[in-house]
Amino acid sequence: MHKLNPFVLTALLAVMTQAGGATPVAAGTLDDILARGELRVAVQTQGPPFSFMDKNGTRTGSAIDLTTLMAAEMGVKIVYLDFDWDGLLPALMSGKADILAADMTPTLARATKVAFTKPFIYVGAVAFAKAGTGFDSIAACKAPGTKIAVLFGSTGEKIAAAVFPEAEIKSYKGGGTLLLDAVNTGQTNCGVNDSSAVAAQSAAYDADTFTVMPEMLSKEPLAYAVRYDSMDLLSWANLFIDTTALDGRLQANLDYWVNSDAWQAAH
Amino acid sequence: MLLNLNTRVMLEFLPEIWQGFLATLMLSAAGFAGAMVLGVIACGLSIQPARLLRAPAVVYIDAVRATPLLAQLYFLYFGLPRLGILLPEMLIGVIALSLNSGAYIAEIIRSGILSIQRGQVEASISSGMTYLQRMRLIILPQALRPTISPLIGQAIVLVKDSSLLSLISVVELTRAGQRIAVERFMPVEGLVATALAYLVLYYLLKLLAGLWSRQNRLPGRA
Repeated sequence: MHKLNPFVLTALLAVMTQAGGATPVAAGTLDDILARGELRVAVQTQGPPFSFMDKNGTRTGSAIDLTTLMAAEMGVKIVYLDFDWDGLLPALMSGKADILAADMTPTLARATKVAFTKPFIYVGAVAFAKAGTGFDSIAACKAPGTKIAVLFGSTGEKIAAAVFPEAEIKSYKGGGTLLLDAVNTGQTNCGVNDSSAVAAQSAAYDADTFTVMPEMLSKEPLAYAVRYDSMDLLSWANLFIDTTALDGRLQANLDYWVNSDAWQAAH
Repeated sequence: MLLNLNTRVMLEFLPEIWQGFLATLMLSAAGFAGAMVLGVIACGLSIQPARLLRAPAVVYIDAVRATPLLAQLYFLYFGLPRLGILLPEMLIGVIALSLNSGAYIAEIIRSGILSIQRGQVEASISSGMTYLQRMRLIILPQALRPTISPLIGQAIVLVKDSSLLSLISVVELTRAGQRIAVERFMPVEGLVATALAYLVLYYLLKLLAGLWSRQNRLPGRA
């Protein structure tokens, strides 16, 4: 094997550096955000308690409060972009949004496309059914031919297929409240969704409309996501989670929005 | 950008796309058949001189044309169970497509009938023809020809409208394409595969329409 001529090597390096120089050097997502003065966040239109329109028509929720805090800490304005659940990742990947703030589980499959922050909470999926229909346990929902409502493209869809192999899985697009409607109207017998979402969304119905099974079908972290070309923003977001976890602001947010129904009085 | 398409994933999901294609074909065919029946009945009623016969047809046509298909679909899916009527989503899909297109088809056929000059009706009346004879021998053969092209148009609209059925958990072509987006996070691949399949359906319809009108050389102006 012959040695590379040092002159050739130098020339090659020079060409490569030149080629690299053709694209702007800075071009970090954080720089872009600071330059344009706004943080663009992709959120779910109807996904209480993380992001939703409350009864006064105001956008609110855990993710809304946290990302508003993010923008305040960065010193920029915040802009929200509304999507259905399955529109969130495409919005982030296409560059419409800088960060995706939803109750999303960082799965290995999703992580092939986007970079997830540290988890900000751990939740689990639960099954629920309409009270008084006889579907009062996981075992009852496992009966062959049972119709199970899940959110299209959600982790609940995968869990339901594994836990209820003989059931008929019905996938809905548009938000967790559709699952509750599908179960409430009898179009499906049971539903599977995150415990926090079920607890928050079933509050809009008469008490005792639904039976929520106590078993957690899974334990899942929830995290925000950025693009893989936004490593600067990812470090910043992770530091934000660490900082707010240490000073108690994260826990206060989660205690208000997720771990209790305290928010329901005001929203 | 189209050169960057991940054709490997598109091929991998070909069985799903094919299933979706067949489902869309089936739903659309059933929907269109129902729409033709509803359309002919509604049109027949809407051209009656008696107000009592005309009123229900006019209410139906106006109600359907004034509201979006999505609203009609959600009404049938989430609204009917509250009235104690629980139907499977496939059936609801076909009913929604039939109800929706039926109203437009009624108007298409009615415009064909109204395009026949008054003199021909008067001539057939004075020849002693009954109402049914008049319709069968004079009016309908002429009225049908100009409606073929708008009817094909309506069939094409119906095929594309059937994509909304994915929202009530029916697995059809659009939902099959969305699978690629949520399983592999490749929305463009999913959309392109779906669009190509719809294009195939469109040309299939065009081909059938061409064959049909060539085989049945209908009388009247070309």
